Amino acid sequence: MSALISLKDVCKSFGGIVVADHISIDIQRGEILGLIGPNGAGKTSLFNLISGLFPVDSGTISVAGTPLDRLPLYQRARLGVARTWQHMRLFSSMSVLENLLVAPSNYPGEQIYQIIFRNKQTKTADIAIRDRAMGILKRMQLESIAHTNVNDITFGQQKLVGLARALMNDGECLLLDEPMAGVEGNAYETMKTIVREEAAAGRAVCVVEHNVSFIKDLCNSAVFMASGKILERGSVETLLSSKTLADLYFGA
Amino acid sequence: MEYLVSLAVLVGIYVILSASFNLIIGFGGLISIAHPIFFALGAYTTGLLAIHFELNPFLSVFAGGAVAFCSSVMLSLPSLRISGDYLLITSIGFQLGMLEVIKHLGFTGGASGLGNIPNVVSGSLRSAVFAVASCVIAAAVVWVIRWLLTGPYGRVISAMRDDELAFSALGRNAMMIKLALFAIGSGFAGVAGGIYAYYYQYISPDQFEILQSAMLLTMVVVGGMGSHVGPVVGAVLLLLLPQAISFLNLPPSVMAPLQGVIFTTLVIVFLFWRPQGLVAPSQHTTSKEV
Repeated sequence: MSALISLKDVCKSFGGIVVADHISIDIQRGEILGLIGPNGAGKTSLFNLISGLFPVDSGTISVAGTPLDRLPLYQRARLGVARTWQHMRLFSSMSVLENLLVAPSNYPGEQIYQIIFRNKQTKTADIAIRDRAMGILKRMQLESIAHTNVNDITFGQQKLVGLARALMNDGECLLLDEPMAGVEGNAYETMKTIVREEAAAGRAVCVVEHNVSFIKDLCNSAVFMASGKILERGSVETLLSSKTLADLYFGA
Repeated sequence: MEYLVSLAVLVGIYVILSASFNLIIGFGGLISIAHPIFFALGAYTTGLLAIHFELNPFLSVFAGGAVAFCSSVMLSLPSLRISGDYLLITSIGFQLGMLEVIKHLGFTGGASGLGNIPNVVSGSLRSAVFAVASCVIAAAVVWVIRWLLTGPYGRVISAMRDDELAFSALGRNAMMIKLALFAIGSGFAGVAGGIYAYYYQYISPDQFEILQSAMLLTMVVVGGMGSHVGPVVGAVLLLLLPQAISFLNLPPSVMAPLQGVIFTTLVIVFLFWRPQGLVAPSQHTTSKEV
């Protein structure tokens, strides 16, 4: 089976700082890959390279065989790269529901001509999207806050909304940047269930996370990064039992 | 009475200007102050077409809007790469540069302005006709902007304004939205310019200077950025205020600078005490309807 998302020999440096040093990773559909390593290892930078915040220096990134190089951010998203952000980046003037409504890949009414010449169709499509968004919110038990502004909900809920928005985005590659940081209780369990279900439904998931038990519970395999390099890959247990890696991660 | 009617013409023109400016900076979050230059392009296009080709007034006002609509690309293209303070600086440069061009071209009348724009409405009701026309068009502009922004399109604009990066990462094309917002806003400003040219029959570059930008910005900020009624309130208030002061019978040498002082003070006062403006934008404009 060919990988859904594939990085080959990806390199990137900012001045003297190397954030990606010959990185090669393949993620299959249905796989949940953990990306672990100390702060500054280049994990988030790797996500930024995949989603297109800045171009790679060399190497290729492809989704379902289509190379992404030189494509802008929004076109990569349309090809299937959906992501969440460490600091959520929710649309702050909008409600929870509205944050989801702007996300679908087939959004009706993004262009002004659609509003002017196809107003009726746009409205109908908008109602369908609304139903879908409410469905996702229901799965996350967030439907009661659908009309609340995203600034007025708890941190854990904001993290869930970030994930919900990424799911609404339809992308088959799901990049989750520290989904668990600061999340506890119900939200924690919900997050785990949803990520598992989405992978089972055929998405390729990559998770950057410092919460080791979350990675252990969820990921089939993991990659350990430090200083922009992949030091080791394998099962989460193997990686964490290695003394060199544990020293690097937790400080010797 | 004549005085009040001519004030109504100005109110109509400024409501068009501030509502369309609000579309760009208030709703779109694109901080440009070059709006008066599109007002000027509309006025000059209309004036020149009227003088040289005696074109039907409706057509030439429409052409003024069209020229402003198309030339907005000159400002929206840089805004695709830069935003915030940098866009503001670029827009100031653009406005000053374009004004210099107008001042140095022969056919625009240069610095002394373009006069002899033909009168299209004569008789004692001239001002009344213009007042009705400009207020009706102003109402239409406010309505069109409101219509565009309620529902799916308004939602993407809010999202883009809130966080452009997260917005693009969802596959939304911010470029098309910025181009459209600048084009529509500038097009309306061009229409306002057309009415202005026909009514005053004389236009000159100094009517479109930075002071005009400051005035429009004050109208939008005081009225309420990102609200539909705000700019209307702001425009009416800021046009009436100087008139109210003029009853104080101050000498002109004091009056002119006093107006500038009032605009600046108002902006500062509002930014500190009521940054949302007199009419605050409603929070969930797009989620309640349908």
